[in-house]
Amino acid sequence: MKTDHDIKLGVSLYSYQDNYYFKKHDLEGCIAAVAGSGAEGFEIFPESMIPEWPYISDRFIDWFNGIKIRYNLECVCVDHFSDTRMWKNRNLTDDELFERSVLYIKAAAKLGASAIRLLHEEHLGSVNFFNRDYHLVNAEIAERLLPVCAEYNVMMALECHAPTTIDDPCHEPYLEAAERLGLPFVGLQADFSSYEYCVSSADIGMYTRRGGTAELLNFFRDSQREAYFNGRPFVYDDIEPTIEKMKPNEVDRQFLAFHTRRRSSMPASYDVLRDYASKLVYIHGKFYDIDETGQVDNIDYPKVMQALVDGGYKGYICSEFEGNRRMNDAGWCDEIEYVRKHQELMRKCLGR
Amino acid sequence: MYDKHILTDEGCRSVWENGKKVGYAVNLTINYYRGLPLCCVDQISLEVDGQPVDPNTMYLQHQGREYHYPDIFTDDFPTDFYWLFGEKLRVVVRQDGGIDQGRHHVRLTLGTRRSYTPTMIDVCEKVLTFA
Repeated sequence: MKTDHDIKLGVSLYSYQDNYYFKKHDLEGCIAAVAGSGAEGFEIFPESMIPEWPYISDRFIDWFNGIKIRYNLECVCVDHFSDTRMWKNRNLTDDELFERSVLYIKAAAKLGASAIRLLHEEHLGSVNFFNRDYHLVNAEIAERLLPVCAEYNVMMALECHAPTTIDDPCHEPYLEAAERLGLPFVGLQADFSSYEYCVSSADIGMYTRRGGTAELLNFFRDSQREAYFNGRPFVYDDIEPTIEKMKPNEVDRQFLAFHTRRRSSMPASYDVLRDYASKLVYIHGKFYDIDETGQVDNIDYPKVMQALVDGGYKGYICSEFEGNRRMNDAGWCDEIEYVRKHQELMRKCLGR
Repeated sequence: MYDKHILTDEGCRSVWENGKKVGYAVNLTINYYRGLPLCCVDQISLEVDGQPVDPNTMYLQHQGREYHYPDIFTDDFPTDFYWLFGEKLRVVVRQDGGIDQGRHHVRLTLGTRRSYTPTMIDVCEKVLTFA
């Protein structure tokens, strides 16, 4: 359902990946689920739900345009990937990475989407998290893509994903290139992963089923929550002696290694989010689980959404449900119901 | 993610030609949240009833095409032939006599190379009934 609100709500079809993978719904079914949730737009991963990718036919486009009319939805964003390692014998060259990226820009234009989510070099921060010996689309390649974006009128949304934040200096070179060339076709995309104040219960469940100690994992999470609700950073050193007394097993150690990469943590600043809101071009409303009160169980949605309203954000927030991959080892994960509740929560935060 | 589901229980059977069993087939789904070019598959290893399957006897069938498994590792393998998300990749093992009808223990190791993370290797073991 289309509205004239400044902040529009959409759904990333990523949220319904199990429904598609296990063939409960085809692409049209997933799009119908978006419409049913009350959203007015959707984001699509072409390699997941467009079997013809990377060469999309006019016939598909005609069908797709019909679907958008039938469900009164718009296609908001196409997810771009940097398949640098797609060949076995060598990495893609920068020219090849550029060409592959052009495919996504053209696809977005064909699908009627005004943005691509750019999988860029700093997606996971300036730290070389996976010890990569290759790069993704970096600021130089993005600069070469700007004239292509201008030709097709497609924005590159720089996903600012945890551990980065929207004000991380690693995004500056991209924005400077756009400024220098006078081609405003790259902009910041907030991802709510930057605003997580504790581990989600979806993670606790997954690690517990793998053999982790529920008592220890919940103690860790409760300590994070206590710190957040008392307005202080979570400092792992404060609870490490207690954790060690609980004798972590191997699975607990894996959990702790991942979640204590930063010894001290707190969600990114809501004030900065407010100050940047009017400059953001797109947002991923990430979530993993929703508690019995209807709140996302590790992100303070009322505060995040208020910051966006106060800062004058204009654009889409797409639900991005990532609980599926943390829950589906235990059985069917009802993605459609999670997204419905998430849309309801966001509407409530916006006073609708 | 999908590690428990990558070895499906669909279409497990002997493959017949001219009234004789010449092999058997299993069907796999991808261990990732999107489809990948087939050249991004780093490893498909099968063990049936504890015996490793010779990779040279394996053929991959998808979207109306068939590739000898070792061929997907060649440098000039087509890069835009995708293993579609959620779609079955049929693995045919050529083996005279096929497989005995009934239940067999199958162990799959699947490695796929991603664009921005290290190769993900998943193992899935199931007892499957072959027709």
